[in-house]
Amino acid sequence: MKMDVAQETKGAIASDVKTMTYIEAITEGLREEMERDERIFLIGEDIAAYGGVFKATKGLYEKFGPMRVIDSPISENFLIQGAVGASIAGLIPSPEIQFDDFITLAMDAIVEHAAKMRYRSGGMFTCPMVIRCCYGGAVGGGLFHSQANQAWFMHCPGLVVVTPATPYDAKGLLKAAFRGQNPVLYYEHKRLYRTIKGPVPTHDYTVPLGKAAVVREGKHVTVISYALMLHRSLDAAEKLAAEGIDVEVIDLRTLLPYDKETILRSVEKTARAVVVYESSKTMGVGAEIGAMIAEDGFSFLDAPVRRVSPPDAPQEPFAPPLAEAYLPDANRIAEAIRETVAY
Amino acid sequence: MPVSNDELKGLYYYLNLVRISDERCRRLFKQGRFHGTYFSAVGQEATVVGPCYGLRPEDTIGIQHREMGAAITKGMPLKYILAELFARKDSPDRGKSHPCHYGWKPLGIITPASTIAAQTVIATGCALAYKIQKKDNVAVCFVGEGATSNGVWHEALNFAGIHRLNCVFVVQNNLWAESVPAALGVPVEDVSERAKAYGFPGVTIDGNDLFATYETSQEAIRRARKGDGPTLIEMKTYRWYGHSEIDPANYRTQEELEYWKKRDPVPRFEKILMERGVIDESYKLATIQRIERELEEAIEFAEKSPHPEPHEILEDVYAPL
Repeated sequence: MKMDVAQETKGAIASDVKTMTYIEAITEGLREEMERDERIFLIGEDIAAYGGVFKATKGLYEKFGPMRVIDSPISENFLIQGAVGASIAGLIPSPEIQFDDFITLAMDAIVEHAAKMRYRSGGMFTCPMVIRCCYGGAVGGGLFHSQANQAWFMHCPGLVVVTPATPYDAKGLLKAAFRGQNPVLYYEHKRLYRTIKGPVPTHDYTVPLGKAAVVREGKHVTVISYALMLHRSLDAAEKLAAEGIDVEVIDLRTLLPYDKETILRSVEKTARAVVVYESSKTMGVGAEIGAMIAEDGFSFLDAPVRRVSPPDAPQEPFAPPLAEAYLPDANRIAEAIRETVAY
Repeated sequence: MPVSNDELKGLYYYLNLVRISDERCRRLFKQGRFHGTYFSAVGQEATVVGPCYGLRPEDTIGIQHREMGAAITKGMPLKYILAELFARKDSPDRGKSHPCHYGWKPLGIITPASTIAAQTVIATGCALAYKIQKKDNVAVCFVGEGATSNGVWHEALNFAGIHRLNCVFVVQNNLWAESVPAALGVPVEDVSERAKAYGFPGVTIDGNDLFATYETSQEAIRRARKGDGPTLIEMKTYRWYGHSEIDPANYRTQEELEYWKKRDPVPRFEKILMERGVIDESYKLATIQRIERELEEAIEFAEKSPHPEPHEILEDVYAPL
């Protein structure tokens, strides 16, 4: 399914690849990068001896000590602005925002400082850093522990926003983020932490920032998605294959700056596009991707670009029937694809 | 520690350089030689010259729009200060930011944004790095009393207190946060009382007395450099002009202004130096002539510097991915 894993592991012996969960890939990526570069340090709430609320930083405090894995007071704004300062002073901080639902407290820090530092200083000051943020629904987290706020940050030039769907990309994107010169907002989906397992090379590798991946080839329609919604889109594509609908699926991986070329190349081939994303519909990820295709790929299209997303509720509500009604499932995605193909 | 005559002469030079540059920049703005606005700090010079004089190049200062004098005293070349105001290509920010957002990487002067208190917070983050790197660099963080009501200022001082970072927090209490009086911004008479909550010392001093601001800052900087933790220094002072040059500042009384003008830090310091025989009239004249000359050169540099070109709008958004 994962083409670059297939390429990556082609000809390799089985011992060069391990199977691990999405969260294990993140922990291992953090550990390896911290071993490689002693400028990297982690700071966040409950991340040290406790190992993080989801255990993403488990074992790192014991290995790297209290100066490289720092428990923060509940001060999200300082967490990021302080990290901007530490980065200016020559370190590579990785502050953790425990839930995307709390990221608003650090909005000024991310938008005005991390994202604009290079620009506002004419390139003098840079603040390479990796802001890790856990997000996403389908875990019963309710209105304030399920949010997916990527679209806000896709409006912030200067920031790189990524979100992996697989263990391979989780580790590879994390490593690429630590090795670049830009502030990266690394969004990890909490539903995927332990539900997704996959092959991860044992040798060092990175996944390039700003590049999408065609994870399933097809000729009738292009589905553009990421993270949890990517998995549901792939499930929908499986269902539709049985009906003779051949779906191409693109994993955006980087949401800002995103890979227009891969999207347009695919839509030129299939003439149809469906964007599947996790957050309310209006002004969401699909608004941008749909508008971009309309602007730069209108002549390719045989059908309108379709958005599949949660409704315009503030975020995923708590009561199970309401939560069920929020995120699109494979059936809803499949239905939208059928309609787009039949248009 | 007694202050040497060389130090006093150095302080005298910077005090005058900051005052004369500030008054000149106000005129340049009024003459339309640069656009946008200008934030004068005339009256407050001793609050920046004292803490910044004698800092090491590798020390950091977190400043905002009114701290031109801090940048100058830290050593930022005057020509780049002027180029910044003129928004020219030779400005360190390449014309990108906002008037009075002085930054200069070689001397750890962090280019600010406009959200209040931010520079204190970012400089505190630098101090966290110094602790991790085991460096004795110091971060001197400036805000007005208004910014001490901002949540993130509290977050930064709280963190600095927990980790005993190499920070000196300077609060320039000039009685007005733009148009809001201190009584509506801070519920205590002395902002330095707030230090108690962060577990480090806080002091209130006369911000128009350069002896006091210098000596108190030096002590705090020594403490920070030794790893003895932060100090909060509140300096009571007054800004003579409006929040910016487009603010007539008619929310305050003439009497209040006159009261503070009588406490002008520049002649006050000069008088003592004259009395002690550290300087004389001819030294004063030579200093002022030197400053005028340096300022002319800086203005000429800025005015001759080209404007940025439209295509530069997308430069420095990202480093290569």
